[in-house]
Amino acid sequence: MTNERESDQVLVARVQAGERQAFDLLVAKYQRRLMRLVGRLVHDQAEAEDVVQETFIKAFRALRHFRGDSAFYTWLYRIGINTAKNFLVTQGRRAPTSTEADAERAEGFEDADNLRDINTPESVMASKQIAYTVNAAMEALPLELRTAIVLREIEGLSYEEISEVMACPIGTVRSRIFRAREVIADKLRPLLDMPDNKRK
Amino acid sequence: MDTHKKIREHISAFADGASAAADVDLALAALQGDDGRQTWALYHHIGDVLRVDPGPPLSPGFAASLAARVAAEPLPGKRTVNAEAPAVGVVPVASA
Repeated sequence: MTNERESDQVLVARVQAGERQAFDLLVAKYQRRLMRLVGRLVHDQAEAEDVVQETFIKAFRALRHFRGDSAFYTWLYRIGINTAKNFLVTQGRRAPTSTEADAERAEGFEDADNLRDINTPESVMASKQIAYTVNAAMEALPLELRTAIVLREIEGLSYEEISEVMACPIGTVRSRIFRAREVIADKLRPLLDMPDNKRK
Repeated sequence: MDTHKKIREHISAFADGASAAADVDLALAALQGDDGRQTWALYHHIGDVLRVDPGPPLSPGFAASLAARVAAEPLPGKRTVNAEAPAVGVVPVASA
């Protein structure tokens, strides 16, 4: 029995041996996961789709260099993240700074007051408000923090895998994920009527 | 970094099963208290909310369009002895 990494490697070897269709199988497997990741970094859907397509093309061209020392998906994600980053740079955009994220955080407290008035935390309304708040906080995160927490919470990668994808030490991964959680938690805490234990 | 922040970072890593062996006891000790348990619950709540969002869909023509582009590419060929590098033009992600 093969695990996911090994079966990917089998397909990669097939492509390297000249079987083009094997790459289609990898695309079919990873296109939605890659879109989910890139869609968190490049917010316009059509642009995100272009980045995903470009990522697969770059991966196909570079496949001759892939030896399987890392998992195919961590290699693919790394190309995807860097392609997204390059795209944002060429579009003259930048990820929000921490200061902007802090400003966003401050704005969220108005919504929190409204939610407390509803006083029905189980309601659909409250769930939507929580989802909105968490996702809005995500959008405002600096790119590196957003990437790290998406890879961990949504894609389920280990810290070691994230360090490979983001080309940074594991300690940096740990710090980025923690900082991302802190920013999001600051926005979410008032909605859940939790005291701010950060200031103790 | 203040003590409480450091403790929350231990909880964050522990929540991901990524604590250093020496830090596990610190995280467990922090989780004995109300603040620690609240932080634990909050971090997991965030993850649960993020995982609900399926992300943007791919347009119906995506697969065909990509397949056509791949078909126009020369085959990548067998691997070389070079280290596996990301594609040309890929830049490293900058440090935070």
